[in-house]
Amino acid sequence: MEIEKLKEELKALNKEYAKIKTIPVEERKAFGEEMNKKKQAILDKIKVAEEAAEDAKVEPLDITAPFSVNGEVKEFRKGSKHPLMTELDRVVDIYQAMGFNVMEPRQLDDEFHMFDSLNFSKGHPARDGYDTFRTAENFIPIAHTSAMQNRALTTYKDRLEKGGQIAVVIPGRVFRNEDVDPTHEHTFYQCEGVYVAEEATMGQLLGIFKNFFETYYGQSLKIKTQPGYFPFTEPSFELLVEKPKSLGGKGDGWLELLGCGMIHPNVLKAAGIDPEKYKGFAWGGGIDRLVMMKYMLNDVRYFESGKLDFLEEF
Amino acid sequence: MLVSLNEIKKLVEIPAGVSTDELVKLIGSRLVEVEGTIDLSKKYKGIKIVEVVSAEDIPETHLHLCKINAGTGSEIQVVCGAPNVRTGMLAVWLAPGCVVPQTFGGENFELSVRKLRGYESNGMLAGLDELDLGDDHSGIVEIDPKFAKAGDDFAEKFELKDTILDIENKSLTHRPDTFGLIGFAREVAGILGVKFEEPVEKFGDLEITTTLSPDTLSEYVSDAEKVWVEVEDKNLCPRYTAGVFEVSNTGLESALEGNKYLTLNDVFLAKAGMKKISKIVDATNITMLMTGQPLHAFDYDKFVKVGAKTSSTSQGATGGADEPKIVVRVAKKGEKLTLLDGKEVELVEGNDIVICSNETPVALAGAMGGESTEIDEDTKKVILESATFSLYNERKMQMAHGIFSEAITRFTKGQPMAGTVPALARCASMLLDSPKKIIDFEVSETYNDNDVFVELSLSDINNLLGTKYTISEVKETLENVGFRVETSDDEDLRVKVPEWRTDISIREDVIEEVGRLRGYDNIPLDLPLRPFIGAEKNPMFELKREMRSILSDRIGANEVLTYSFVSKDLQEKVGEDFSDSYEIVNSISPELQCFRQSILPSLIDKMYDNIRALHKDFILYEFNQVTSKKLGLTDEKVPEIENHVALISTGDFYEAKRTLVELGRRLHVEFVLGENNAAEFPYFEKVRSAKVMLDGETVGVVGEIKGRVLRNFKLKNASGFELNLDKIVKMPRKITADLKLSKFPFVERDLTLKVSSEANYEEIKEAVINGLSGISELVYKVNPVSIYQGEDKMTKNISFHVSFASEVKTLESNEISDIMKNIEEKISEVKAEVI
Repeated sequence: MEIEKLKEELKALNKEYAKIKTIPVEERKAFGEEMNKKKQAILDKIKVAEEAAEDAKVEPLDITAPFSVNGEVKEFRKGSKHPLMTELDRVVDIYQAMGFNVMEPRQLDDEFHMFDSLNFSKGHPARDGYDTFRTAENFIPIAHTSAMQNRALTTYKDRLEKGGQIAVVIPGRVFRNEDVDPTHEHTFYQCEGVYVAEEATMGQLLGIFKNFFETYYGQSLKIKTQPGYFPFTEPSFELLVEKPKSLGGKGDGWLELLGCGMIHPNVLKAAGIDPEKYKGFAWGGGIDRLVMMKYMLNDVRYFESGKLDFLEEF
Repeated sequence: MLVSLNEIKKLVEIPAGVSTDELVKLIGSRLVEVEGTIDLSKKYKGIKIVEVVSAEDIPETHLHLCKINAGTGSEIQVVCGAPNVRTGMLAVWLAPGCVVPQTFGGENFELSVRKLRGYESNGMLAGLDELDLGDDHSGIVEIDPKFAKAGDDFAEKFELKDTILDIENKSLTHRPDTFGLIGFAREVAGILGVKFEEPVEKFGDLEITTTLSPDTLSEYVSDAEKVWVEVEDKNLCPRYTAGVFEVSNTGLESALEGNKYLTLNDVFLAKAGMKKISKIVDATNITMLMTGQPLHAFDYDKFVKVGAKTSSTSQGATGGADEPKIVVRVAKKGEKLTLLDGKEVELVEGNDIVICSNETPVALAGAMGGESTEIDEDTKKVILESATFSLYNERKMQMAHGIFSEAITRFTKGQPMAGTVPALARCASMLLDSPKKIIDFEVSETYNDNDVFVELSLSDINNLLGTKYTISEVKETLENVGFRVETSDDEDLRVKVPEWRTDISIREDVIEEVGRLRGYDNIPLDLPLRPFIGAEKNPMFELKREMRSILSDRIGANEVLTYSFVSKDLQEKVGEDFSDSYEIVNSISPELQCFRQSILPSLIDKMYDNIRALHKDFILYEFNQVTSKKLGLTDEKVPEIENHVALISTGDFYEAKRTLVELGRRLHVEFVLGENNAAEFPYFEKVRSAKVMLDGETVGVVGEIKGRVLRNFKLKNASGFELNLDKIVKMPRKITADLKLSKFPFVERDLTLKVSSEANYEEIKEAVINGLSGISELVYKVNPVSIYQGEDKMTKNISFHVSFASEVKTLESNEISDIMKNIEEKISEVKAEVI
């Protein structure tokens, strides 16, 4: 209705415009401009009205419905990466950006790599803490990623001789002879780090951790230590990190995240590195807990459950 | 381990201004993991010592109606069921409003005024169990009137205004010295930067120090009798000391008199989580809690009697049949021993250390005493043992016999030999008024073999820690906890390690002490400097990452992780030979007995549950390591390991193949399929699966899972693949793109070919391509449209969509028909017919 009215107006205007011939020449310019202005105003109104009329014809839909009325069900396949693997990638990426190389541990290894090369004397009580599985041939499904330390050291030893450093992280799967419950798994993931150079200090070790966790959690964080004991490091301690805001931290809670220390001279010796000349530090931490805290999961058993209802969430 | 802060404070003066919270924090950051603290003053709040003014039986019940005086003068009525309640005694009263200590931290049961059998009772009179100071429930606790009076605050009087630290033992595995209060207190002093004053105990004329030597003690004891001590192997028992004395009641502290009254010693034991047993046993336990050195007391007369029975052959200067002789040796084959708890154990030949009276075992050394020489009410004379044993043997004994006592916990840390004599003297001093009363003292080894010196420089310390400590700071820190430090200049240190620090032998051990005691948290943060070169990418790690993106993000598959251990049953179900698997000998369950040879069986196993959870169409995959005995060992003599990827889908062969081809396409490697003659992966249906090859090398198998395997898992169909990534990771990627571009129009034709039912698709497609590939300046695409077979199954029709264009001009109709003719010619060579 409105459009027709406007079109009528336009016609009338055009008629009036035709009068231009009857107007004195010197007034024609002003008259023409005036007429054009009016015409444009009407045209604008028509455009608005036409668009409004068109819009009014568009059929609305139910935005809350998953597909159209009488339509076909269409779904993307809910592909997912395992959350532990995604987290390992993230952790490794930060260390790689710092300059660490990556080595994966072998899941079935021997007494030498699991214990002997790490300064665990035979029958030492510290071996008990690892609750290792064993095969009939006395091979060991590794109970910590440290089992790869000796190989990391020997593989990159030549770098030291060229004046460089050994900087390796070891992400991988480990096994402990533990009964499974919501907070315990016999199979879980760790990431180990090893650094050796002519100059390596505990101050650097602490500096790396602060830097790592600040990058990982994307905020500045306090760190603190707690004494620990590992035969393969001397001094040994455990690292605690201020609970980050993303996990509901308010600057008072602490997360116990790593075991670490300066590499014991016997560990360097076992890899053919002179402990008089070179020093190093090493650390290891669990990945499962990082993921559980991140997604507020309350049962570690989900990880190895193979349940799509869990996996599709990631 | 439970540690009382009050006891620590008796040994170390805590500087003013250090609050309990701060102290606990410091202990947690510099000594040991504190799992929790228990504030006893809250637990025992409001509890009073009261006098029972009257106690009358309530007829036809076991109850007594009591009036008590809580020091206020007015009488309060309490109903009490204990048989030992009587007029005039001092008891412990839990008033209305008090929480029963036994329930503290749990249900927190709060007492009130309530009626029992019609009689109003204001709270209760408490037994030892209700006070959480023991198990005894036979009656109420009685207090010595010489020790306290009605109205006294119970917690105040019994040193229960205290904080208990719950210590994580594992974090002190290497520190046997801290398993006693003295050692723990020494560390606390060190942490606080205070010099620890070693405690000295008076025992007659003798001053018992923490380093009392065997020779010194020998000078003070009388030598009236002789017990022979023979240690078979010094490695099993580096030092055995024994004291013999008659137990006299004179000169004893009142706290140790009998079991009638609750004593400070009972509370001391309870705070450490131990129970009172008897005067002599309590003395050994209290000494252990103080010094970290466990002791054991034998009844002398029983000991002699047991040994005499079998020792007729033993004669001469080393002790005859009638003379007591202590022998420390490993158990022999077939030996048995009845322990204090009444259980008879079979001794482990060659490992269990036993204490024998002559030839007869009477105790499982360090673990538990034997029934035959047990201390009882009639004991008149004891042999007190204070010894160290091989921690390795003790550990095995702990596991073999399942004994987890406070004593063996300490022995498995390796108690220092220097601690044996002071502990023996301390324990005797609790039972005797003078060392003269020790009628015999024996020691198997007088020489201290742990005089250790460590030489190091100040720069060794500062270079490892990244600190700038001065030599005087280092010296003070070490000397506070008993090290002796000699310095000749401002750089070099010679450090004498205290006798009790068996864990320290190298430079780094001493550096740890300095760093830890001064606080790692005080070390300035730094970062290593290194050349500006990129970190290496790990090809396998990166390959998996890349494949994960393709499979999850592009194909829509779900990555799973499943256990590396599988059951024999699962292996049997899929047709794998479990004798090729490395078997876990100490597995948790039969479900987790073998290290898996391939991943697919675990994935097949995960399908049914997901189908039941109504997932109909899905693809699961996993990356992991597998191994089998058939792979043999590496140069390092460890099992050869393969990195695999496995994928399972709910679809048919072509679903798995399609996924594989897409994976190859994105990775820029070309998987070629061939007849499945692989011996590995027996669970594939041979004629509905294919060997996967890369550059002529087999890398895996793709196909459908065997019908009979599927039935074992209640599945209808499944297809997938398993590939060896170690081979794929080495393959060069062909990243030259085969671009099909032309600016001239493409001609499209559909081509349906009738072929014999045995004809091979790839061969027919090749023929079509041959018809196009020979023509110069032509770009083309050949895509399958359908493969159709009629009822007769004699032939099948394969349809292709063919499109082509010239790179240089628009094709004219005669040129197009020439091309089509060319195609027809080539396909007739493979006996295909255009329809």
